[in-house]
Amino acid sequence: MMAAIKSMPMSGKVGAVLAACWLFLALFGPWLAPHSANEIVAYDVFEPLGGDYILGTDYIGRDVFSRILDGTRFTIFIPLLAAALACSVGTLIALYSAVSHPRTDEIISRFMDALISIPSKIFSLVMIAAFGSSVPILLTITAISYMPGSFRIARSLAVNVANLDFVTVARTRGESRLYLAVKEILPNILHPMLADFGLRFVFVVLLLSSLSFLGLGVQPPEADLGSLVRENLSGLAEGAPAVIVPAIAIATITIAVNLVIDSLRGAATYAARGR
Amino acid sequence: MKVIFQLIIKRIGLSIITLFIVSAVVFFIANLLPGDAAQEMLGQSATPEAVAALREAYGLNDPPLTRYAKWLTGLVTGDAGMSLANSRPVSELISSRLSKSLLLAGLTTVIAVPFAMLLGIVAAMYSGRRVDKIMNIATLSMVAVPEFLLATIFVLIFAVELNWLPSLSYIPADAGVYEYFRAFALPVATLCIVLSAQMARMTRAAVLEQLSQPYVEMALLKGSPLSRAVLRHALPNAVGPIVNAVALSLSYLLGGVVIVEVIFNYPGVASLMVDAVTNRDMPLLQACAMLFCTGYLILVLIADLSAILANPKLRTGG
Amino acid sequence: MKNNKQDAALRGGHLGSRRAILKSLGAAGLVTAASGLVLPAHVLAQLTDDKPEAQPRQGGRIRVATNSSSTRDTLDPAKASLSTDYVRMYMVYSGLTQFNRELGADLALAETIESDNQQDWHITLRSGVTFHDGKSLTPQDVVYSLMRHKDPDVTSRVAPIAAQFEEVVVTGERSLRIMLKAPNADLPVMLASSNFCVVADGTTDFSRTANGTGPYQLKEFSAGVRTIGVRNPNFWKPGKPYLDEIELVGIADESSRVNALLSGDIQMVLAVDPRSTKRVKRSGTCDVMQTESSLYTNLVMRQDAYPTNNPDFVMAIKYMTDRELIKRALFRGYATIANDHPVAPSHKYFHHELPQRPYDIDRAKFHLKKAGMNGLRVPIFASPVATGSVDMAALMQLSGIEAGVHLGINRVPADGYWSNHWMKHPLGFGNINPRVSLDELFSLFFKSDAPWNESGWQNQQFDQLLLAARGEGDDAKRKQMYWDMQELIHQHCGIGIPVFMNLIDGYDKRVKGIFPIPTGGLMGYSFAEHVWLDA
Repeated sequence: MMAAIKSMPMSGKVGAVLAACWLFLALFGPWLAPHSANEIVAYDVFEPLGGDYILGTDYIGRDVFSRILDGTRFTIFIPLLAAALACSVGTLIALYSAVSHPRTDEIISRFMDALISIPSKIFSLVMIAAFGSSVPILLTITAISYMPGSFRIARSLAVNVANLDFVTVARTRGESRLYLAVKEILPNILHPMLADFGLRFVFVVLLLSSLSFLGLGVQPPEADLGSLVRENLSGLAEGAPAVIVPAIAIATITIAVNLVIDSLRGAATYAARGR
Repeated sequence: MKVIFQLIIKRIGLSIITLFIVSAVVFFIANLLPGDAAQEMLGQSATPEAVAALREAYGLNDPPLTRYAKWLTGLVTGDAGMSLANSRPVSELISSRLSKSLLLAGLTTVIAVPFAMLLGIVAAMYSGRRVDKIMNIATLSMVAVPEFLLATIFVLIFAVELNWLPSLSYIPADAGVYEYFRAFALPVATLCIVLSAQMARMTRAAVLEQLSQPYVEMALLKGSPLSRAVLRHALPNAVGPIVNAVALSLSYLLGGVVIVEVIFNYPGVASLMVDAVTNRDMPLLQACAMLFCTGYLILVLIADLSAILANPKLRTGG
Repeated sequence: MKNNKQDAALRGGHLGSRRAILKSLGAAGLVTAASGLVLPAHVLAQLTDDKPEAQPRQGGRIRVATNSSSTRDTLDPAKASLSTDYVRMYMVYSGLTQFNRELGADLALAETIESDNQQDWHITLRSGVTFHDGKSLTPQDVVYSLMRHKDPDVTSRVAPIAAQFEEVVVTGERSLRIMLKAPNADLPVMLASSNFCVVADGTTDFSRTANGTGPYQLKEFSAGVRTIGVRNPNFWKPGKPYLDEIELVGIADESSRVNALLSGDIQMVLAVDPRSTKRVKRSGTCDVMQTESSLYTNLVMRQDAYPTNNPDFVMAIKYMTDRELIKRALFRGYATIANDHPVAPSHKYFHHELPQRPYDIDRAKFHLKKAGMNGLRVPIFASPVATGSVDMAALMQLSGIEAGVHLGINRVPADGYWSNHWMKHPLGFGNINPRVSLDELFSLFFKSDAPWNESGWQNQQFDQLLLAARGEGDDAKRKQMYWDMQELIHQHCGIGIPVFMNLIDGYDKRVKGIFPIPTGGLMGYSFAEHVWLDA
């Protein structure tokens, strides 16, 4: 682990440090908060930076700093888990599909096409109306929403690789399908899939905030960072930190995650070449 | 060419299967929804008698499968049914809004796709250099901004403060080119930023992937200039994943833009589908799902065709 | 103030003098040519007290935004259910009566409404009123418009109210009679609701056209998109309306709505968030209008479910409602403290001697202990669609922790809230629109067999009082009955009402002729006939 970080380029190290900070806040934020995240501490709403409250107050006078510390865990863990779930399941099915009989491949692909064409916000709207919006439900919805997308990308990569000479050779050599999928194809699609994971992480963050825009999303008084942006949107015109700071927080989280993945990709490329 | 023609025929056949799967999936999950059109129609003031009467009128007393079969036979004969909430033909409701959605999607595509490709290719060519790093951070930051925030910032700056552009995408009946430009400027800008960043990143990754392949490295070692290696070798092989990513991003433009439609009060099909869910208007919901799926399938077909045309191996292999 | 005068006039045979007032008003050409029902001297005085506005100017076009619009938008008065619908109704149609700023109703299409026993009502129609298609208004149109609400196939939203009509018959060339099943003194007020607007006899297709007698003729209607009305040159109020054209749209997102107002794309908007008022006022070009209303978001504590069936638990919840904080933090002061009953202080029957229930954690603790429910965990259901309920629930949760009960917030989507959650959980929220008639309010929401008896409250004494008050001609006695009913609700009903919310509209300062009508935002949704544009 330490070695991996050491071999990273500068940007990767910056990303890793940022990501570590956010992970720390996600784990311990609620204990570090100076106030209760839900308590109305001030009469004035949308207070600016650096008054009695470091990051000002929100739309009903709660402490923004405490709310961000409290909300970070939702913005880190739900997308992380959902994206990991979506990418790994999508890639596995794609591998299976790529080495299977063309008919099986066709059926799986049609089914995925059907899922993918249902807009994720509408899907979420229906599911949340049906099952309520608890964290496990949100996790499931976001994972299901982005799995078919991962599948498509992984499959198109896998099919491309499966057509390359070295795979054809292995196939004629009589290698098993499992061997083809895991040993020949997977290593060659891993890097783009990691990039895909980074993007999907961001998508889930964004979907969560979109859901909060539509009045779905994490249960109040809890709020993920996207919900914080949404609930304080009316403070944007006066430049309230209550809306700007969570937005910046989201940006730094996504940048950090992607920088780390980019540099891991670099490392993985070396590994693949060494093979 | 014959291969391509065959593929199109085959795809149309398969599309029907996909559409059927979508209708079944949508029907299934929509049946999980609590309440029905009669209750939603009467809302807070629903009395049991009124709900029962309306249910009878809507034919909601039939078992679900019967309703699905009825709808399906209707669709096969070209009748998408009547909207429950509005008692007008679904086709009429959709057609009036589809043209608007297509216009918005078309304008966005024309601007966003070339822009994103250019960004992605340039970033890949200068991978690891300052240009790439700046673009990397820039696209990441843009991807990370919730679109409702981006749209609201645009409105505050260009409509409320500067008063250059309207805050709502409203097109008067006798609008000229200039009015169209003004009305579409902000929503198209918002969507372009949201989509280009994603597409640019996927383009960069795909081109970079090819650049690290032995055959490209070989070409570079032989003294071929970088731009030539990218354009002649890497790009054709990267087309598959790129067009796929583009197709996925663009399919978002029909069903996924509900937030932009809400903020700019633009009457497109995405908000129509949200209405359909809210009103439990099953025929309308189904029709919207069919529509989005069709749009998506067309995009994917185009994507696959371009991939085949660009990659000689796939071209012969089918 | 209004109903007692009316009753006195009706009973005491002062009809002559009342008509005389009407006439003189008409001659003076003041605001409404209507107002026979109300408009005694004090109202007249108030009208002239208003800061003098310039002479209304004809012409101009405005765009107006409400907060809701969907494919469910309708042109059928029987189906109108959201703010955009209400505005559209009052744009295109007129009713027999119309709401005024005094929590009462003025005469509109009706020239007189008279009754000796509050059960048998005689109505004469104004003469010379025509529909947009040129047809003259006849009593048969009114009979059709009222009786269609009783037709189950129409699925009218006011069917429960229309059920009171025993029969409605034509009695002359310009007159008709409404027979109620039981006396109801509030009939004139109830008829002012947008659902009872008058349509042409025999109209069944409302999908594209609307043939009314209202101030604007329908030019374009596209459900969920927009409505355009053009000036009706033959409107029955001389000189009105003033604008050439009104375009009505729905913008669901509050910040988009306010931004559209500030950028000049919209001239009037409904429902401005209290937090946005500062911004609107600071703009210089726009301003806000506050309307004190009896709109409220209330706690629903079901009397047929554990633990809310325990009166001590209900009391504890009522005592741990921090009304001041709710008013201040949630509504930025744009609210009026309520006292756990649905009658706002501005109402003439408001019980002002009933002591205000304070925020008192110790008493909440006492009641919880008495109920043996210390440390209990109870889910509380809230939804964005019940305005402010989600934040109220968050505040209740905090005071709950202090008092010793854990309230777990369940926010459910706006989608489907009314049919699937409202009144279905032991502890939840409701949101009740202003009703001028207390009889209507109590009959719909508090009577034991009321269709939306939110808390499932059964109280025979209350039911008897309600029926008695309906037919009571003596205003002092009637008032006493309504006071008693408020006290019963305040003490025993499973409903907690923290505050009444003020309605806030935003408007471009060039729009003139605006004043609050407490039945809803945008002048009780009826701005269309009143406003004009100062170029």
